Amino acid sequence: MNGSVIRTLILKDWQLHRRLIMMSMVGAVIALAILHSRNETAFMIGAVWYFVVLFVLASMLPISNVINERKKQTVVFLMSLPLSALQYGMAKMVSTIAIFLIPWAAMVVAGTTLVLGRHDIPNGIIPLMLVLFILPLIGFSIIAGAALISESEGWTVAVTIAGNSSYWLVWYFIMRNPAISGTLNSPVPVWNAQIMDVLGGEAAVIALILGLTFYLQSRKQEFI
Amino acid sequence: MGNAFVISQSDKRPIYLQIMEQIRQRVAVGDWTEGQAIPSIRQLAVDLQVSVITVKRAYLELERDGVIVTQQGRGSRVASNPGLGMRLQQQELEEHLEQALRLADMLGIRHKDLEARLRETGERRMEKEGEQV
Amino acid sequence: MNDLAIELKGVSKRYPYFALDNIHLEVPRGQIMGLIGPNGAGKSTTIRILLGLVRQERGEVRVLGHRMPSEQVAAKWDIGFASDDMGLYEGMTLAWHMNFVRSIYPNWDAPYAQLLLKRFGLRAEQKIKGLSHGQRVKSTLLLVLARRPRLLVLDEPTTGLDPVARHEVLRELTAVMTDEGRSVLFSSHNTQDVEQISDRITFIDRGRIIDSLDKEAYLDRWRRLRLELLPGAVLPFLPGIIGIRQEGRLAVATANAFAADMANAYESAGVRVKSVEAMTLEEIFVANVERSREEVEV
Repeated sequence: MNGSVIRTLILKDWQLHRRLIMMSMVGAVIALAILHSRNETAFMIGAVWYFVVLFVLASMLPISNVINERKKQTVVFLMSLPLSALQYGMAKMVSTIAIFLIPWAAMVVAGTTLVLGRHDIPNGIIPLMLVLFILPLIGFSIIAGAALISESEGWTVAVTIAGNSSYWLVWYFIMRNPAISGTLNSPVPVWNAQIMDVLGGEAAVIALILGLTFYLQSRKQEFI
Repeated sequence: MGNAFVISQSDKRPIYLQIMEQIRQRVAVGDWTEGQAIPSIRQLAVDLQVSVITVKRAYLELERDGVIVTQQGRGSRVASNPGLGMRLQQQELEEHLEQALRLADMLGIRHKDLEARLRETGERRMEKEGEQV
Repeated sequence: MNDLAIELKGVSKRYPYFALDNIHLEVPRGQIMGLIGPNGAGKSTTIRILLGLVRQERGEVRVLGHRMPSEQVAAKWDIGFASDDMGLYEGMTLAWHMNFVRSIYPNWDAPYAQLLLKRFGLRAEQKIKGLSHGQRVKSTLLLVLARRPRLLVLDEPTTGLDPVARHEVLRELTAVMTDEGRSVLFSSHNTQDVEQISDRITFIDRGRIIDSLDKEAYLDRWRRLRLELLPGAVLPFLPGIIGIRQEGRLAVATANAFAADMANAYESAGVRVKSVEAMTLEEIFVANVERSREEVEV
């Protein structure tokens, strides 16, 4: 299925974004260090810093990795290679999401170890934390897909703004469920059926987004 | 071989004629001898940076004139006893002569007088060349 | 085995302000096809359709025996495409691009690539953003030539190049012909290049093919006749003459189907033929486009 060409493309995107990847890792490490301080203010700063890093990356990355390839016409160069529009799209989605996963995973790890390490925060918060952390991942997948399909900077920015504004809404609906919010104060993480349903639902949503993106990409009549 | 060929862009004549002329010159001067292998059509096209079809045409015309011989799979050679042919030039001369006759008729010049005119023109030219020497 | 490198049959594609109409195009294996036409004629669209990058609405496309666009992946292993609107990664070096292409194509010819670097006067360690336009064009061509693909498809390969660079590019393009299994299709405004190296010429204007033939036969059909009308004479209509410009007793006729007896036909009508001249491809280009536009307007 032309795997080697797709792999080469993904690696190429990583090489092109090596500076961005480096900076986001540094940013994550700094935030992590600050987060572990006992000082409440420092903790707040660290937490905010994390989200800033994540949001900035999430906003810049689809533009930089997907849209710019169109603007700078390097997509013409790539499409002269032996691959189809769909294969190009798959490589793009994988590389874009994979780059985002670095600081995202750092955030999950940092958050989890922090909670486990500090005795003033109940471990019961961990399942919910995971649910909430996956939301930006879903949002990012939507933005990446929109960038690929729309090929337009304007639409991508619009979807980014819409996505970022709607986190709080989703958060609110999740928190309303007593089966989830009730387990927050437990000293041990509770993985009940509702939490597993939500996590499963999130995974399904990501799969759906990818599926829809690939389907629309394969239906394009004109690649360039 | 083939690297002293020069196609002139300012020369108004079609490229295939220029190629033919330069091959004829080499044969006439003796640089290319009877039976000698000459560059393949493709090779000459690449050397001159012209299309294969142009060289093919030149070679075809030269073969018709008896200057070269091309064998399928064996390449091209100077013909044994190459006539310099000049069939095309003969045709051109014939056309010019026809036209001269037509003009003479239009101007009311008799054919006898036309012959005299031709001789005069030739003599004048020789005088000029004599002066230059 | 199909002996055509490229075959387009009845290809059509409609856009809001432009339509490609019933395109028939054949490039036999081992030949160079020059595609010429004014801006906006449809050259780039035709090229994109034959690469499978744009799907045609009607008609069949076969490239190296593969149906396009469905078999484009298989076809593109053997096709080298370069266009003047193709971008490279500005922050990376030419060497990086060479390695990138090399990692995909197993038949990358490294010694030839080095030779091309020298011939084109390029330095591999230089970043793309530091290159002039001409150097970028040559870099894109190098990336495609070093793979020695069976089919080269080039959109404006010499546009914007200085005379030396143009000469170098033409040299490499004609060198491709040493292997009679390889073919080239290139589009260009530069009629001199097309006239020099093409085996076949295709003219396209406003989405339609006006002419597509063997270059030598084509050039032979076009002639410019300089005429002088004798007193009382009237210019006769001759088939094969597509345009006449007359001022007083002098006229210039353009023939696109020149026949040897045209001179006699004129002379018998009292029109003296002062000279019969060959036309350059550029002159033919202009005459062709003007004629096709007149036909559309009528």
